[in-house]
Amino acid sequence: MPHWSDTIVEALRAHSIRIVPYVPDAVGWQVLSKLDADPAFHTVPCAREEEAIGIAAGAIATGTKAAVFMQSSGFGNTVNALAQLAVASRVGMPLFIGMRGGLGEFNAVQVPAAQAIPGILDELNIQHYAPQREDELAKTVDGALTLATSSRFPVAVLLYSILVGAKRA
Amino acid sequence: MRRAEGIAALIERIGDAPIVASLGPSTFDLYAAGDRPANLYTWGAMGLASSIGLGVALGAPDRKVFVTDGDGSLLMNLGSLATIARQGPANLVHIVWDNHMWAETGGQPTHTATGTDLAGIARAAGIPQVATVADLDAFNTVIGRALTENGPWCIVVEVEEAGRAGRPTVHADENFLRFSRTFAK
Repeated sequence: MPHWSDTIVEALRAHSIRIVPYVPDAVGWQVLSKLDADPAFHTVPCAREEEAIGIAAGAIATGTKAAVFMQSSGFGNTVNALAQLAVASRVGMPLFIGMRGGLGEFNAVQVPAAQAIPGILDELNIQHYAPQREDELAKTVDGALTLATSSRFPVAVLLYSILVGAKRA
Repeated sequence: MRRAEGIAALIERIGDAPIVASLGPSTFDLYAAGDRPANLYTWGAMGLASSIGLGVALGAPDRKVFVTDGDGSLLMNLGSLATIARQGPANLVHIVWDNHMWAETGGQPTHTATGTDLAGIARAAGIPQVATVADLDAFNTVIGRALTENGPWCIVVEVEEAGRAGRPTVHADENFLRFSRTFAK
């Protein structure tokens, strides 16, 4: 079984994802560091998460596929950009969110945002999937990437510690 | 100069090049100047025009890409200047209509009314081509340079606020699809 980060990299490659805007986190970086070293991908470090939503929307408009990476604590910064750009304009944008605040979390401050995210996504009508095991990850990511493009709508993949491991204090 | 004069001069020069407009007067004046498929009116995505424009510029490196922003909108997304500088897209031209106010919400003075210098911030962020212009002749000159010299550019244009123009009738999702189709290979 390949490492979870390699499974995501290969799914992004298979779907011809090219531009990957992000704000780094310890989970996402395990994927992003591989994308950074791979000429098939163009990673775009951002100062703030809502920029990443805008950059992905612009790239997708040109027919260049994009995916966004962020941490749960930065998700809140994207809510208007998701609602009034990605949802209102129907932009088929995959979102990968490194979830702090769940099993094994040492920092209580991370918990409230993480708990709110599924509900916020539901309210925005954005489908979200949380693969629990490595053997279901490939199907989940492949399916989410297909769904985002076909439905012309954001789709979120939530990467919880049960799959990717908890950050240690 | 008025923003509408600048927009008319811009459209005359750039053919079918894409324009991403920030919400409020920048979008309304662009629409009033003549709707075109290569216009993306980001009516609601507060502050994001510069980021969307960066994405368009990265996705279509063979096209010159224009962003028409406002001072209020850019103040909401100053970090995008640093992100644009880091990426350095040669094909991105970011125009900021600086009327020193949040015109759409009643004309409250923005921070540029009290001394904030957006061109200075752009320069300090690392944008290589930065200009401030205050009349139509100077605007035309700098657009001429932006069409021939590599960017990224940030062009701050001092404008007098001159009231409301028409609002786009195209729906956001329809606008996005229509804009996307101008890039079809």
